[in-house]
Amino acid sequence: MSSKTARPALRSAAWRISLWATLAFACGTIVVFVFLQRFLAHDIQRRTDAWLSGEVEVLGDVAERTPKDALYDRVVGEVAELASREVPNRDAGATLSNDSVFFLQTGRDGSMELWVGAGNGQATLAAIRKTTILPDQPTDLHVSGFAIPFRVASDQIADGTRIYLGLSERDELRVLHRLSLRFFLLSLSLILFGFLIVFLATRRMLSHVRGITEAASRIGHSDLTTRVPTTNRNDEIAQLALTLNHMLDRIESTVHQLHTITDTLAHDLRSPLTAIRGKLEMSLPGVSDEAAAEPIVAAIDELDRLTDFLNKSLDVAEAQADALRLTREEINLCELLPAMVDLYEPSMTERGLSIQLQCSGPVKVMADAALVHRMIANLLDNELKHLAPGMRVAVAVRAENGFAILAMEDNGIGFEPGMLEHLFEARVKGRNSSGHGLGLTFVHAVARAHGGTVTAANRSGGGARIVVALPLAEGSATAPHNPAASLSVAD
Amino acid sequence: MLVEDESDIQSFLRRSLEEAGYVVDCAADGKTAEKLAAEHSFDVLIVDLGLPDQDGITLILRLRQMGVQAPVLILSARRSVDDRVRGLEQGGDDYLTKPFALAELLARLRNLLKRNAPGAGELTRLRVQDLELDLLRREAIRAGKLLPLTQQEFALLEYLCRNAGRVVTRSMILDQVWGIRIQPETNVVDVHIYRLRGKVDGKGQQPLIRTMRGMGYVLEDR
Repeated sequence: MSSKTARPALRSAAWRISLWATLAFACGTIVVFVFLQRFLAHDIQRRTDAWLSGEVEVLGDVAERTPKDALYDRVVGEVAELASREVPNRDAGATLSNDSVFFLQTGRDGSMELWVGAGNGQATLAAIRKTTILPDQPTDLHVSGFAIPFRVASDQIADGTRIYLGLSERDELRVLHRLSLRFFLLSLSLILFGFLIVFLATRRMLSHVRGITEAASRIGHSDLTTRVPTTNRNDEIAQLALTLNHMLDRIESTVHQLHTITDTLAHDLRSPLTAIRGKLEMSLPGVSDEAAAEPIVAAIDELDRLTDFLNKSLDVAEAQADALRLTREEINLCELLPAMVDLYEPSMTERGLSIQLQCSGPVKVMADAALVHRMIANLLDNELKHLAPGMRVAVAVRAENGFAILAMEDNGIGFEPGMLEHLFEARVKGRNSSGHGLGLTFVHAVARAHGGTVTAANRSGGGARIVVALPLAEGSATAPHNPAASLSVAD
Repeated sequence: MLVEDESDIQSFLRRSLEEAGYVVDCAADGKTAEKLAAEHSFDVLIVDLGLPDQDGITLILRLRQMGVQAPVLILSARRSVDDRVRGLEQGGDDYLTKPFALAELLARLRNLLKRNAPGAGELTRLRVQDLELDLLRREAIRAGKLLPLTQQEFALLEYLCRNAGRVVTRSMILDQVWGIRIQPETNVVDVHIYRLRGKVDGKGQQPLIRTMRGMGYVLEDR
């Protein structure tokens, strides 16, 4: 389990799900943000415009009623100055230098009559002449020398002059900026927080799924008695675990049934076989005549073959149902194979065959010793039975990519074409084969039961090649692939 | 004591055990076996796992509770080796699958009895007629002449000598000499024996290694 939790979080489904969720959340936030910004900007402008309209009316009244004497400029100027102090959205810390508000009165000919504001107002006057400003309808005015436009309201006075009141949009924009910044920071932290929540929640949920996956794969490999972990909550994942466990219950009971059938079959056949064999053996020493003993000996041999066939058939049947019972122990193939080859070598020599073995380092598997011994004996028996005199057999054992590879090659005639695809099916055998056609099926069944594979092919140079791959025992380091270890039959 | 419910098997086992020199008491079910065990003391027990009234393992455990110390040879026709049987095996008892060769049954009985007997000390030399094996130097001498044996051939001859006068089967040889647990389909063992015989039994000498057809091999001790 530890090896799997260590995999990078960046590749986990939880990470992807949280990324997508966050993206969706962020998109939503941006839409809300734009909408709010628009709404706020519009509202601020509306308030500014209301103020401007109100003030320009007051100023118009004042300008109308004040007699046009020497004091006119001062009275109107002071009223305008006072009005500018009440500017909405005013930055409290800003100096009183009044460049955010201007007051302008023009004569009938459009010349400047009165200016209250920063500078001499010529630039503003030029801008006003270029723009039509309707009364009671505040308008944006771009004055050269100012980056930020002014909002300007105007009023016609009875004496034919016009007054203009302008307010810089600077304060308005500053308020908007400040709001945007706060909103941006808030939504960013919300998004990050949301991402974290989604990531943790999905990871927690998916860790249950991973627990189920790991337990299921463990069960698939070894014992059917354990179950995947379940949670108390009644959500989809808990239901998945429950469904899996129900399925495992059924599989276990089916396998148990199969075991009962094979056990009964084995028992019912073995008991009479034991009795017959024993009686035959008992009768042997009494027979002194060679010729008379011959049929008894032959019968015993037949019985042994029958027993072997029975065992193999049941093994194959159980293995094909993934129900073969294994008693695993550590086996070093590079100790077993030399013993096997040593055992078979004289028989091979006697038949005019030669055999060579290549083993690189310890190659350990956790396997059922009796089954693996019989599997290898089957492969060697095959060569011994089917190979023509003068041929060679090459056996190579090596560790590769977590698997113990046992490759057996010969330079005989190879498999009959068309037989290759059905090689591992029961009862398939070569035309000249005298066996019961279970040999390679058994090899396949054993490899499969151990989580391995068998492949058979005809070599390009002629001859057969069978490769058995069994998972290496845990903890045995995989030796780097050594090209010298891949051996081939020298012709 | 032999506990076996199938009368056919019981009768031939009894006969062959008696021929091999054992005194045999038979029981066909667990109850009789318990009664027999309470009345007599036995050197070794042979128990079939499939008894009509109770499981063989249960019987063995009950006998152990009754204070029966004798080693047990378990016979079974089942396919899988029960974990409980494996536990007994580790406790010094042995296990044999049906069908079996009589020779193998006898060999295992001898082993069980030997294990229980006071140790005779490790042998360093074996002598059978005019054949002598030096187990330390791994050399075999017959009639004063050193035999040119390979290590494997010496191991095979040693195994035959240790069981001189008794039949050993091919699968016993495979298990003990090569450590391989198979029922040979081909004549692999016979070829080894044939080669060994060529070196051990010279011309004009009395042949030592005899083939017991249908059973196995025996190294003659007289």
